[in-house]
Formats: sequence, C-alpha cells, structure tokens
Amino acid sequence: MKHPALALLGAASVVVLALSACTSGGEGADATGDRTIVFATGEPDHLTPGRQTVAFDQVLSVFAPLVTLNEQNELEYVQAESIESDDATTWTITLKDGWTFHNGEPVTAHSYVDAWNHTAYGPNSWENSGQLASISGYADLNPTEGEPVAETMSGLAVVDELTFTVELIGPDSQFPLQLSSGQTGFYPMPEAAYEDLDAYDRRPIGNGPFEMTEPWEDNAEFTVSAYDDYAGEQPTIDGVTFRSYTDMNTAYTDVLAGNADVVFVPAGKMTNAGADFGDRLYAFEAPGVDYLGFPLWDPRYASTELRQAISMAIDRDAVNEAIYGGIHEPATALTAPSMAGTPEGVCGEYCEFDPDAAKALLEQAGGFEGTMEIIYPGGLGIDSLFEAYANQIRQNLGIADVVAKPTTDWAEYYESLTSKTVTGPHFGHWGALYASQQNTLRSLFTETGGCYDCTAYSNAEVDALLAEADAAPTLDESYALYAEVQEVVLEDFPTVPTFSNKYPYVTSPKIAELPAVSGSVVLSLVELSEG
Amino acid sequence: MKIAVGIGTRAGGLLVVFVGVTFLIYLMVFGLPGDPIRALGGDRPLTDSVVATLRERYNLDAPLWQQYVDYLAGLLRGDFGIDFTGRSVGGQMAARWPVTIALALTAWAIELIVGLVLGVIAAIRAGTVVDKSILGVTIVASAVPVFVLGSTAQLVLGVRLGWFPVAGTAAGWPTAYLLPALVIAVFGLAAVSRLMRTSVLENINADYVRTARAKGLDEGKVIGVHVMRNSMIPAVTYLATDLGFLLGGTVIIEGIFNLPGVGNLLFQAIRSHEGPTVVGVSTALIVIFLITSLIVDGLHIALDPRIRR
Repeated sequence: MKHPALALLGAASVVVLALSACTSGGEGADATGDRTIVFATGEPDHLTPGRQTVAFDQVLSVFAPLVTLNEQNELEYVQAESIESDDATTWTITLKDGWTFHNGEPVTAHSYVDAWNHTAYGPNSWENSGQLASISGYADLNPTEGEPVAETMSGLAVVDELTFTVELIGPDSQFPLQLSSGQTGFYPMPEAAYEDLDAYDRRPIGNGPFEMTEPWEDNAEFTVSAYDDYAGEQPTIDGVTFRSYTDMNTAYTDVLAGNADVVFVPAGKMTNAGADFGDRLYAFEAPGVDYLGFPLWDPRYASTELRQAISMAIDRDAVNEAIYGGIHEPATALTAPSMAGTPEGVCGEYCEFDPDAAKALLEQAGGFEGTMEIIYPGGLGIDSLFEAYANQIRQNLGIADVVAKPTTDWAEYYESLTSKTVTGPHFGHWGALYASQQNTLRSLFTETGGCYDCTAYSNAEVDALLAEADAAPTLDESYALYAEVQEVVLEDFPTVPTFSNKYPYVTSPKIAELPAVSGSVVLSLVELSEG
Repeated sequence: MKIAVGIGTRAGGLLVVFVGVTFLIYLMVFGLPGDPIRALGGDRPLTDSVVATLRERYNLDAPLWQQYVDYLAGLLRGDFGIDFTGRSVGGQMAARWPVTIALALTAWAIELIVGLVLGVIAAIRAGTVVDKSILGVTIVASAVPVFVLGSTAQLVLGVRLGWFPVAGTAAGWPTAYLLPALVIAVFGLAAVSRLMRTSVLENINADYVRTARAKGLDEGKVIGVHVMRNSMIPAVTYLATDLGFLLGGTVIIEGIFNLPGVGNLLFQAIRSHEGPTVVGVSTALIVIFLITSLIVDGLHIALDPRIRR
C-alpha cells in the first residue's frame, strides 16, 4: 500500500461496486394506464380478520361483511340474505347463495360459525375476540380463571347450509349493525384456513372483492387483485397495492408526488391538505369522537360545574381551524352524528364557547387550586392540540397554572388510566366499530363496557336505560332511548365532548372519486380518472 | 504479537460489553411505563383472557431476571425471539440489515470522497474565498436539523424537481439511496473537511514537503502522496467511528425516506416495548461500533509506520 489515500478512495469505490451487486434491483415505475391503485398505509399487524387491529383497509378489501351501511346510514345486506329476530335475543342469519371464497370453497353457515368460535376461543388470544362477547357461551370459552370449559359457543347453531342462529346473552336491537364491516371479528373463514393459520395470516383467503395473489411479507408492499367470481358488486379497478410507511408524513409526500394514490392525512398535515390537494381532499364522516376525560375520583375534579366550565372555556371552532384545518366538527353530543339517531345539539350551551359563563361556573364550583395537568399520549403528533387546550383553559378560566403534559407513549398513557394514576383532564378518543350510539355509550359510560377506565364513569340509571334501549323492538325506538341515555350522562358531565371526527383522505390525480362507508374508504368502488 | 494480545483483550472486552449492555437494555425496556399488551389493542381494550394468554405467550409474567435469562438462552441457540405480532426478530433483522448497510455505506462513501477532496482544496486555497465558502457551506448545512434537511431535500429534489425517488426502496440501489445518503453525509462533511484541512495545512509547510518540492516533484504528487498520506490520520479516525454512528444513527432518515432498515425497526420496537427486538438490534449496533473502533486501530497502524515499530 504505497498510496494509502488512493487505497482508501479505492476501497470506497469497491464498497460502492459491491453495493450495486448486493442490493436488489428495483421494479421501476408503474406502467401508466393500468387500473390498479397504490394505497399508502401503515404496516399491517395481522391480515386474519379475527386478529387485525390496524389493517382494516387491507382486510376490508379481501373480505365482504354480512351487512354494510348506505349513504343514508341505513342497513344494507352484503353477504347476508336476511338477519331477523322476534325477540332481539335469538337472531337467524341467512346467507346469500352462490358466494365463494377465493379458493372456490362456498361460503356457508359453517364458514361463519367455525370462524366465530375460533376467534372467541380464549386460548387462541385473537385480538378481536371481544367483539363476540355478547354471544351466549362466550364466557365458557373465556373464563376469568382456569381452562375454558367449551370450545364452541352454545349460542351458535347451524340450521342448514346457508342458515345459522345466534343466541345473545340478552336482547340487543343493534345486533345487525354490529355485523357491519368494521367488526372484522364477525367475518367468515374458509376451511382451508385452519390447515395453517400462520400462512393464512400472510395470505388470507376471503369472500371479498379482491383476492391476495401473493403472501404479504414484512415491510414489502403487496397487491390484491379483483376476484372474478365475486358475487357482490364487481370492483371498478383491477387491484390495489398496499404499500406500508413508517412515517405517514412521507406517505403523504409520496401521494403529493404521485407515487402513491391514496393516503389517510396524518395529524400534522391536516392544515396543509386543503392547499396541497384542493378538491382531492376528502373528509368522510367518521364514527369517532374526541373528548377530555377526568380523574373523577380526584376531589379537585369532582365538581360537575368545574368540568362544564372547562368545556365552555374551549373555543372548538378556533382549535378546529388552527389544528385540523377545519376538517373535524365541534362536538354537540356524546356520539358522532353518523351514529344513527344521534341527538345533535344535546350538549347544548355546555359545548359552546362562552368564557364569561365558564368563569361563572368555575366560581360556582369553588375555583381551582394548584396546577392543572392535561395529560395526553406522546408520539401521536397531537402536542399542539393539547397545548391549545391548555392555553385556552388558562386564559379563559383565569387558572394560572395549566400545562399540557405528554406521556412517553400510548402504553404509559393507557396504564395511567387503568391504574387510576392520571393526574388531570386527559386525552380521550373512541372510534365506534359500528354505526350505533350503543357502541360509544356502552363502551365509555358503563362499568362493563370495555373502556370503563377511559372515563371512570358509571351510573345505575344509565345502565338501566341502555338495557331498555338494547331491548327496544325497533331500531327507531332504540335510537330515541339512546338519545335519552345521552341526556342522563350529560347531566353528570363526566367528559368534555370536543370533536366529532372526520377521516381525511387525499388522492393522486389518478383517482376521480373516492367512495367511503362509515369513514372507511371502499377500495373496490374507486373511480379512476379517464385517460 | 502485541497486536494479537491487543485484539484479544478487545475481543474479551466485547463479551463483557455484550452481556452488560443486553442486560441494561433489557432492564430499560422492562422499566418503560405502561403495559405493552394492553396497548396492543389501541383504543379498543382487549378482553382479560386475551391479555392473560398473550402475557403468558411472550413470557411477560416471569420476573425480569427470568425473562433475561430465557432471552440469553434463546440467543445461544441462535433464536432472537419473537415480537408481539409473532414475527421472528432474527428474520426481521436479517431482512432489514442490508437496507441500513447500503444506506450507511453510501453515505459514508460520499462523506469520504467529498470530505477529503473539499478538505484538501480548502487547505491548498487556505484563506481564500474558496476556503471560506467551503467552511461556511458545510457548517451551515450540518447545523440544520436532520429532519428539516431531509424533508426539504425530499420535497424539493424529489417532489418538485423529480430528480430522485421520494421514498421507498423500489428504485433499488443506488437511485433510492442517493438522496437519503446525501442528507446523512452532509452532517459528517464539515468535520471531515475541517480535519483534513487542518492536517494538510500542518504538513504542507513541513520540511519533508519542502524537500520533495526541492527535488522537483510535481505539485500533484507532493500533495497526493506525501501530504495526503500524513494528513489522513485524524480524518480516517473520524470516518471510521462515524461509520458506526451511520449504521445506528439513521433512524430519522429511514423514517422520512421510508427505508425499511434497522433504525426504523428499533424505533417501532421501542414504541411498542418489544424487549427482544430492542435488545437484538441495539446489541448488534454496539457490536458493530466496537468492531469499527477495532478497525480504526488497525488503520492507524497501516497509515503511520511509526506506530508499527
């Protein structure tokens, strides 16, 4: 080595050459004029419907639900021929004939009953197990202690090839709504799935408009193609490529550059989306609500007037403009307007910005001593939102010390709720999985609702009214009763309703129209631009 | 012989560092507040029986020391464990290392070539506008936060001008890696060119250089051979340790440019409290760092005959 400098440069070029040999070549740009789209999203956790918690778009394209909602939020059958009951407790589900899974297997009553039993069985620990909890016999498969005493739920019975009955633990008028697309725990699986469930998780065989033609591999994009024998409404496009991004801001930029076609707008880009995309920004009415929860066990927050004062000190319109680019809607009820029968405006003056009334209420509550910490999960990109809340409460209520305080991450935030160590008003969000007020109200405001820790609120009167609503003979009657529940809850004002969500999506010019149901994009019915 | 002993000592040190570091990292992940299993369901709580089964499956019920011993035992069998979605950590790392290595080496090559050249030019033209602008530009560029530089480069060079792919590895090497590598390289450029400039200046007026010139050697050879060789030690030391940093420090850039490398994996694993993944990746990073510093020592010997004697 006479010339180390040159040798080093030489080494660098060897490195460069070696690299060009060892990394795989690219596929190059997509051919133009094809009828497939690229959907920019996060990496899936699972693709089995009973397991996924973040891969809705992927799973919804490969599977068809029993029912869906139309634009008027009315129930429409997809895979189901009918769903009927005389007493709202025992339901008879009849399937449409002639539907097949992508491997050619017919979709039968067994496809549903077996899949539901497998999803519900405790030791399988499938993430969406809880969605089936209202079926009789679920508890036998999920004892609080010890081994399950059964492998199948007693409430499920196959009547014939296309008919099965479901017995619930109590009357529930909302059951048909629970079978809509968001609750993927209610999806069917073919017999072929059980041969190798790990392989199935990588390449699920569904009954939906698109089929998987190749297994999903970690961090690699995968494509689903239109299933020619799909018995439902034929897809308008040939396929969808799901490309995963770790940083959704990058996904947004990639759609802006035209390298991908659809993306959910990340929190940090909401104010830019209108200017960047114009009429290619869609804001779909979503089933989610945002609220501030309280440590109701803490004497400092025990006063209803104090919580109302905080609510009236927040200028929701200004926050919406500044943080969300006006995309969300200020909340006027405890559920999102797209939940059928939601009594919009039931929150009344307490959800309206009125600093004077807020101050008066605070005085009535005896003021507030000390530091008010507003807790939210860090790492979600919602820091400016919570700083805005803190500023407004400080200024409009005249409380000197109000700080927005992030936790390290979601796990710590959630732990602070379950262990009841949260120290102040806190982040709250509930995304209903089906379009009924029932889901949000039961989850957040009853002790057994699954998210009791989210609000720490329960009330016997609410429980009784909810049961009455669940047992209502018609959906319309149930809606009125749920609306009544909202009134009763709001008398106690356990949470400050802040926003009804809209789910914002942006698209590349390739897409002319992006349809959606309950805030989720319907990929099979996307309209492409001509030319 | 001395070298062999030296290397042996370093290798022994590696083992101690390995055990110590894996335990410390395990301890830290374990100590993170919050229950990772509860958080798996997002804002929709999992049922108690699902949580109990998952905790058992991922060995989270056992005390810390037990978890750690089980993990080490697995490592000895070449098993890096599984993450919370049931994927093998070893498989994940195997899939992601090539991306990170390609990115780091590309950045490193840019840093090396451009940095050394800029340093020599600045030294030869010391005090002139050329020297000052090299100093100014490299320092300002490396003072910009990495995500600002990354996002701006992406928006301007990727989206607006379309010179580079915006994100992802679909275009393959080198196209997909050039822009992110350039952004990373910018941060080392200032240091490399400064180090190079200083030591070239030190040497350029040394006696042996004057002698070489007096012998009638042409200027290219004087600079390229005599000055460069003696001036490279500080820059090489820096570059070699920097390679270790590059391999581990590309988390943000991997995120911005959607490159599925280990930095990305580490970031996600920390957020979801996945002990085995965090420990696996960070241990590998530390080992790489130790090995590169071992190589630096070797390079010193090659470059400076005085150390060899």
